[in-house]
Formats: sequence, structure tokens, C-alpha cells
Amino acid sequence: MLMEVFPDQRQGILMYDVVIVGSGASGGAVAYTLCKAGYKVAVLEKGRLLKREDFSKDELAYCRRDLVTPSLFDEYHTIEEKVDGVWQTTPTHESGWSFWNGNIVGGSSNFMSGMLHRLHPDDFRLKSKYGDIKGANIVDWPISYNDLEPYYTLAETLVGISGHYEKHPYEPPRSTANFPQPPTKENAVVKLFDKSCKALDIHSLVTPRAVLSQNIPGRDACYYSNLCGSYGCSSGAKGSSREALLKPALATGNLTLMSNSYVKYLHTDKKDKVDHAVVVHTITGKETKIEGKIFVVAAQAHESSRLLLNSANKHHPDGLANSSRQLGKNLLFSGGGSGQGELHQDSLKEIKFEDLMTTGLFVNRSVLDWYFVDHWWDGTFKGGSVEFMFEHQNIITRARQDNYKEGKMLWGTALGEHVIKRFTNYKNIRFEIFNDWLPNDDCFVALDPTHKDKYGMPVGKLRLEGHPQDVKVGKYIAQKCEKILEEMGAKNIYSSISSGAAQNLVAGGCRFGNDPKTSVLNKYCQAHDVSNLFVADASFMPTGGSVAYTWTIYANAFRVADHIVKTLALR
Amino acid sequence: MKRRTFLVFTSALGLSSYVQAKENSHFEKQFKTVEDIISAVQEHFFPEESKIPSAESMNLTRFLFHTVSHKSYDRDIRAFVIEGAKELQKREKTFLFLSSQEKEISLRAYEETGYGSNWLSRIMILSMEGLFSDPIYGANIKEGGWKALNAYGGFPRPKTRYIDV
Repeated sequence: MLMEVFPDQRQGILMYDVVIVGSGASGGAVAYTLCKAGYKVAVLEKGRLLKREDFSKDELAYCRRDLVTPSLFDEYHTIEEKVDGVWQTTPTHESGWSFWNGNIVGGSSNFMSGMLHRLHPDDFRLKSKYGDIKGANIVDWPISYNDLEPYYTLAETLVGISGHYEKHPYEPPRSTANFPQPPTKENAVVKLFDKSCKALDIHSLVTPRAVLSQNIPGRDACYYSNLCGSYGCSSGAKGSSREALLKPALATGNLTLMSNSYVKYLHTDKKDKVDHAVVVHTITGKETKIEGKIFVVAAQAHESSRLLLNSANKHHPDGLANSSRQLGKNLLFSGGGSGQGELHQDSLKEIKFEDLMTTGLFVNRSVLDWYFVDHWWDGTFKGGSVEFMFEHQNIITRARQDNYKEGKMLWGTALGEHVIKRFTNYKNIRFEIFNDWLPNDDCFVALDPTHKDKYGMPVGKLRLEGHPQDVKVGKYIAQKCEKILEEMGAKNIYSSISSGAAQNLVAGGCRFGNDPKTSVLNKYCQAHDVSNLFVADASFMPTGGSVAYTWTIYANAFRVADHIVKTLALR
Repeated sequence: MKRRTFLVFTSALGLSSYVQAKENSHFEKQFKTVEDIISAVQEHFFPEESKIPSAESMNLTRFLFHTVSHKSYDRDIRAFVIEGAKELQKREKTFLFLSSQEKEISLRAYEETGYGSNWLSRIMILSMEGLFSDPIYGANIKEGGWKALNAYGGFPRPKTRYIDV
């Protein structure tokens, strides 16, 4: 039974063992572990609670209006970009470039497509392996893959990850033979894809998915709705923090889940201890203090740094836990980009057109062949990974695309012809490339000096410059991917690699390390300066690796939670 | 008085729904003055002869009105929808009485201007949203838009409109 309360509605404790800011992937993992261990936990989520039965595949609501993210006039960011050599700042309510990824209970994990990969062991030691790159702040991690491996495995069961392990030189090693569930169902196009890869001597792999292929108690398997990413899951198959972790945490009776609860800042009375969070109820505006023994920040990387910066006080004038001056610095996104090709009825090989056009089934293919590049001609450098999928099946989005001829809008009967052909004559297959976003001095989050959100708190100002190496690697991989689509017989193939930041792939800002002079957190993601403060989301990552961060976020949060349990037991 | 303060003040006095209703009825009056020309443009985009159902049969003007008049809709874009229509009225006073070919020439000329092309694009976006969103929003009558594409909204379908949340 889900309970939604606010402190003055409850009798009894306002003092918790652990207070967690944010209910997304990492907040959920920490809440789960601590509640199961018997501790009293409060999770403060600024968004509202939407339950499984509230979700629908309403494209208008979820994808074209701010249903699950704040209005940019209420809460926003400012983006600092170099225009003609001069830094210019633009609030996102002007540009419409939202840096919110889903602010409801469970966070953005409700809306992901759930294509998960582990980091490779060498991702933990990129500096040792490749050395310095000019203009980038590459460092080794203070932990190794082996420290995280048991938690990657734990996440497979707790979050619900389906897949099929196949040995590959760049596939990270595993401690269990295979995934707890077999892969979700695939479209016939995979026959064509696998055959084409084989012809090019490329190794196609099944993509692990945080999507159940089989029922488990309390959660049903995927029903292949054709609309996974950007939508909340109506069967419970998707491994959101809400379904997989918060629900069982609530069942222990130890969790107080406070939605509509925006944390303005954390308050310290002594130099090395947080004593309460200052919280505003987003509907009533009532302000209250939530006390705890331990505080865990898990608000998504760019917002966690912002919260700590906003928690500056006389003990911590540059922001909470910022003696290193590294808070907010070395923000990471993902290098890469995407590409696409059209599979037409009249030139389709290997499979039947009506099978290609079947809706709902996945592609679930990835390629790791270029994760590390070590080639006599191309050179030796860190590469990246690629996901293959159908283009997102949103109808309005697809109907609106490419409706121009010779620079003029198509309308009338010509538009009708064009759009219907688009939907009935071919299907677009797409690839997404992930390669390291190199940490650099011009990618960080700071507090905006003038702009404040509707709660009166300074908003995050983001500078998002990438490193030229990111684009080089992306283009290299894109060429390889285009060849796969060519081999498949796709038409009108194109790709686009940009140095732009993808707002749904954010990490860094509180890098962890052994040296308090150069890192914000220690190897347990505990703040060097503040002993009862942890940051559990992707903020800890000093380098990104070449995959989406989600699985690593879940795994690391479980690891940090275990350490917090040990810490509490010693008190 | 700043707008936010005003709204908080009036809500404290129990006036906010009155203020909202006043704002709405003001916009509704404004919209009525340009409703016909917007409707005509939408019908030109999606005529009877098209393979996609016509704007009239799919209730696209009503949908457009409900969408832009909602309090959550960007008010700058809302104003632009009205102003761009008025601009077209000025340029082509007899637009409603032109033949299809004459309308085509007129709209292509409007498209030549940056302002005009932005406005036409906005009307197109709002029309396509009507055609291909869930019928609960009052357009895409009997899923006619979806049927034309042989592509249907996923399950579960919405039980409420986001504008009612």
C-alpha cells in the first residue's frame, strides 16, 4: 500500500535515521537497502506521485506538454554558451531546452527505455590505460570493477534485468552465468540485422533491458505496447525505482515517502554534520524541517550539485562539502549521436514486410566491437558502444517529420500522400552511439547569480562544452554503423554526431576520490568534509564510460547503501 | 503589482477562479474574431480531397482553441496564434472568399515572410496534434486520423485529458 504523507499529518517522528533527497534510481536503491535493514527512512521527492494505474500512452500529455516535468517558468536552468567568442547565458524558459527528465516519484527511471550496460573494468582506470588527453580532466576511479560487480549482479534481480549473455572481448565479466530472465521478444528485423553484422564480421549482441520478460510477484511482464521510452509503464515491467524498490521499501513499514516536497537546502549547525533539510510543500507552500542522522542526496547529478551549492553557510562558504572547490565541476554527458535508415517494402531482404511492420516487439541489439579501438591505421583510443532500435513510435512526432519540399511546407493533398507513405511504405531503423564525454573545465554546474526558481532558490547555471575528441570518436563509430544499415539494404541513411549535451545522460559534479583536495566524495560517496552526508546518484562519476549511466547508478547506490548500513550499525 | 502577487492575493480573497474565467472569456472573444480564418487555413492544410481526413471532419479548430486557451499553454504562443491570424486577415481581406488556388498563392506568399512561415508552422503543429492525439481531446474523431495512417495510440488509452489534471 503506497502511503503519501507530509510531516505535520503524522504523529511521532520527524527525526529519521536516513533522509534521502530524490526518489529516482539511486534514491530508491538506498531507501530499499536501508528499510530492509530496519532503519527509519524518509524520501523527499519534489514531484508528485503517479501510480502504475495512472499512466497511459497519451502522447500529447507525456511527450508534448509538461505533464511530468516542471513548467520552465517555475523551475528552470540557465545555459551558458559561447557565441562569437563571448559567454552568453540563456534561461531555459526562453530556449525551451528543458533539463528536467521526469519529476515524479521514481524520477526519470519511470521514463527510460531501460537499455542497460555495465561499465567495462578499464572504464575505472582510463588515465592509467590511455594517459592524459590535453584539455580533459581524466582520472582513475578509487574503486575497481570488482568492487561494483556484485552490485551490478544484485541490480539484475532487484530491478529486474532481462537479457542474454554472450562472450565478447569487450563484454565485462560476470559472476553469474546469465540474466535472471530471458530477453524480451524481438521483431523479425533482428534476423536481417544479425545476418548483416555477420557479413561485416561485426558481433551483434542482445541488449540487456530493465524490462521484465516474465511476470514476478507484484509486477507483470512487458505487454509490448510499442511505446516504452518516455512513458510510464502500465504493467510494472519497467524497472523503475518506484516499481522495483520503493514499493517493497514501503512494504517494510520503515519508509516515509514525501512527495510534493522540494528541498531548498541542507542545514549544518556544526562544520561536519548536516542536521536538517529545509523542505517546502509544493502545493501548500508550507515550510518544514526534516531531521536525520544521515543525509543522502540523490536529486540527479546537476541538481545534487546545485543543492549542495545552495546549502552554503558560514561553515561552508563555497557550498556544502566543497573544500576541494570541485563541487559542480567536471559535469558529464555522453558523446556520440545517432543515425537512421529506412527499410522499404520494395527492397526488403531476408524478412517479410508485414513482420517488419509488426508493432510492439523490440530490436534489442547492441554492438561493442568499437568499445576500445586498437587499430594499425585508425589508432589506439577509447571508443564507444551502439544501440540499435526502431525510431520512437510516437505518432504525432513521426507525422510531423520531413514535411518540406524544396524549402516549402507540404500541405493539402501532397502532405496527405507524403505522411501516409511514411507510415505504410517503410520503417525507420535507428542507432544511438554512446562514447565518453571527456570531463573538462568548461562543463560544470554553478549557481546562477540572478535567476531564482519559484521557491526563491538560485537555479543551476550549466556550461556544457564538450571536448573535440568526443566528436571524433562519435564520427568514427557512426561510419561503422552506417555500413551496417547499408548491408541491411536501408535507404536514405544519415547520421548526426554533435558535441551537444544530451540532458537525459548527466553525471559528475561531485567526483569521488581518495584525495580530499581533488574530490568531493570518498570512495563510499561520503562527503570528505561532512561525515553524515552522502551523494548516491551519478554525481560521483569522475569519468563517464561509453554506456548510459543507469545500471551503474543503481549498482553504485546499492554499494553506498551497504556502507551506510555499516556506518549506522557502528553508532 | 507583480502578476504572481496579484494571483496569490486574489486567490486568498477567493477571486482567482473569477479572474481566470474573465481571462478565458476575454481570450474567447479575441479568438472568435479570427476563428474563421484559422479554420480556413486548417481546411486548406487538410482538405476533403486529402488522404488524411479533413480538418472540419476532425474538429481541428475546436481542438486548437481548447489547446491554446488552456492556462498551461505558453502565453506568448497563444498571442502569436491570434496575431498571426490577424496579420493574414490584413494581407488578404477576402481570404475566406478566395478559391483554393488563390488561397494557395496567398499562403505561399505569407510563407515567404519569416513571421508568416512561423505562424503557418504553428497552425500545422496544432492541427497535427489534433489529428493524431487521442480522441479524448475532442479531435481525431472516431480515430479517423489514426486510421488513415494505420497507426494507433498505445494502451492503455488516457482516461483523463492532461488539461483536466
